[in-house]
Amino acid sequence: MPDSMRWPNTKQATSSPQSEGIPGAAALSADTAIATRALTKRYRDVLAVDSLDLDVRRGEIYGFLGRNGAGKTTTIRMLLGLIRPSGGDVEVMGERVRPGTSDVFGRVGYLVEAATAYPNLTVRENLDIQRRLTRAPRGAVAEVIELMRLGELADRRAGVLSLGNKQRLSLARALLHNPELLVLDEPANALDPAGIVEVRGLLRSLASEHGVTVFMSSHILAEVAHLADRIGIVHEGRLLEELDRDQLRAQERLYVEVGVSEPERAATLLTDAGFAHVERADGRLRVFDAEERVPEMARALVGAGLDITELASVREDLEAHFLRLTGGVE
Amino acid sequence: MFAQVFITEFLKLRRSKVTWLTLAALSLGPLGIALMMWIVREPGRAAQLGLLGTKANLSGLTATWPAYFSMLTLVVGIGGMLLLSFIVAYIFGREYAEGTAKNLLALPAGRHWFVLAKLVVAAVWWAVLVVAVLAESFAIGAALGLPGFSATLAVSAVHDALLAAAVAYLLSPVVAWIAMVGRGYMPPLGFALAMLALGQVFSKTGWAIWFPWSIVPLFIGAVGQRVTTLAPGSLVVVALTFLAGIAATIAQLRYADNAQ
Repeated sequence: MPDSMRWPNTKQATSSPQSEGIPGAAALSADTAIATRALTKRYRDVLAVDSLDLDVRRGEIYGFLGRNGAGKTTTIRMLLGLIRPSGGDVEVMGERVRPGTSDVFGRVGYLVEAATAYPNLTVRENLDIQRRLTRAPRGAVAEVIELMRLGELADRRAGVLSLGNKQRLSLARALLHNPELLVLDEPANALDPAGIVEVRGLLRSLASEHGVTVFMSSHILAEVAHLADRIGIVHEGRLLEELDRDQLRAQERLYVEVGVSEPERAATLLTDAGFAHVERADGRLRVFDAEERVPEMARALVGAGLDITELASVREDLEAHFLRLTGGVE
Repeated sequence: MFAQVFITEFLKLRRSKVTWLTLAALSLGPLGIALMMWIVREPGRAAQLGLLGTKANLSGLTATWPAYFSMLTLVVGIGGMLLLSFIVAYIFGREYAEGTAKNLLALPAGRHWFVLAKLVVAAVWWAVLVVAVLAESFAIGAALGLPGFSATLAVSAVHDALLAAAVAYLLSPVVAWIAMVGRGYMPPLGFALAMLALGQVFSKTGWAIWFPWSIVPLFIGAVGQRVTTLAPGSLVVVALTFLAGIAATIAQLRYADNAQ
């Protein structure tokens, strides 16, 4: 990925007028790129987003993680004013978002849902439209084409692009006017592994070197875990948990995975033997906080006439934590 | 900001087949009329060629400039009203059909500019089509050597066609609103067809001058007794329909949920 030097160094200069912020949250504005208070969206009987309070600090990468249908896209739509909240407030870059809000979006780049473009126009022409609408300088199109490695496709009609290249075009559109805040809904969608690594590197560089705030949603934990400074886990419209990098690491737990004949009997046996946290998963046992007691565990199982087919020490990653929070594997 | 939005709305039409399709569709009108005129004038040869000589003769047509202009006004008035609805449905509905509407909504440009720019693009597109078809009509009429031409007749015909086209345009923002609400092409086209049918129904009642979609058919003599000038009440109705259509379209884009 080419260097993102086209961005002005906004890291030290991200203050904005504290106008029209959320009532009672004025103190947040100078340091906060996105703030929501009791943000709610209801579609008839479906509560898509439920009293969401979010604070995304300027210059950080915030991963908004949730399963499909958790309320991520609905939240992003409300952040951008695409849909109106049923309740609560949204503040973006110190300005409250409401019907008619437009100026602040000159500082925001975004990608929501599927990548789309005018199919009869070329990549360059699609970007030129965005350039005019965001008042970006004339050279911005060529720069972002280079940044997103779209040079060979620049004069190809968007309608014939692959999904991955459409995604690149949409990312280019989001980046074109050097935004201070990027709101990206599933940015890795349709990208190949190399493309994912490229975009990850670009976003990291934008945040660390240019102070760009990145708010990105994903249902793929690994995608945000590699990148985000903080992660918010959303489920059924509610923010279940927010974790920073240290807390993310602290979530990693060790357990001993045991393949054993008669796992049900084995689980009872181990619980009776004082192993406090035993779970069954995929026909195996997961015994937590037991890494110091593996020989004792093995003796207890063999002594009871059970056959051990597998015994391994496993580090539980954030994915397991995420699944546990959001109700396990479907 | 309007200028930039306006330019982008024109840029979006690059390589669009729909622009040429609408020109081709409206251009067929004068050709169709010319064919009927030729059949009326040459029934024997038309019958030899298997054309609809009998039906054309029965319709009471005469192969003259007044009859030619009269039919032309019908084509621009009724056919044009549908075609204009198609144009407006395309300009507004494509943003939803192609999934690009969301890209217009969080920009440093007020959403009302998009509505106004799209309506101006529709006006320019429509004006070019009408002028092109009028020019084509004169050329075809002259080539046919129709009798009964006069400058007064030509001015009157052009005046009627332009007025019918203008009134049709003033009704188009409502079609734009339906395209926004329906998020695509089909709802506005369905709406336009329904209004055309309702216009026919109302034109047979005393409400014709008050129902917006009866006013064009009434004015061009497509239904009922042709009126030579638009009643002040009709002008007010059309003007109010135009303003209400714009206001509703802007309100839809500004206040409604615009998720796709």
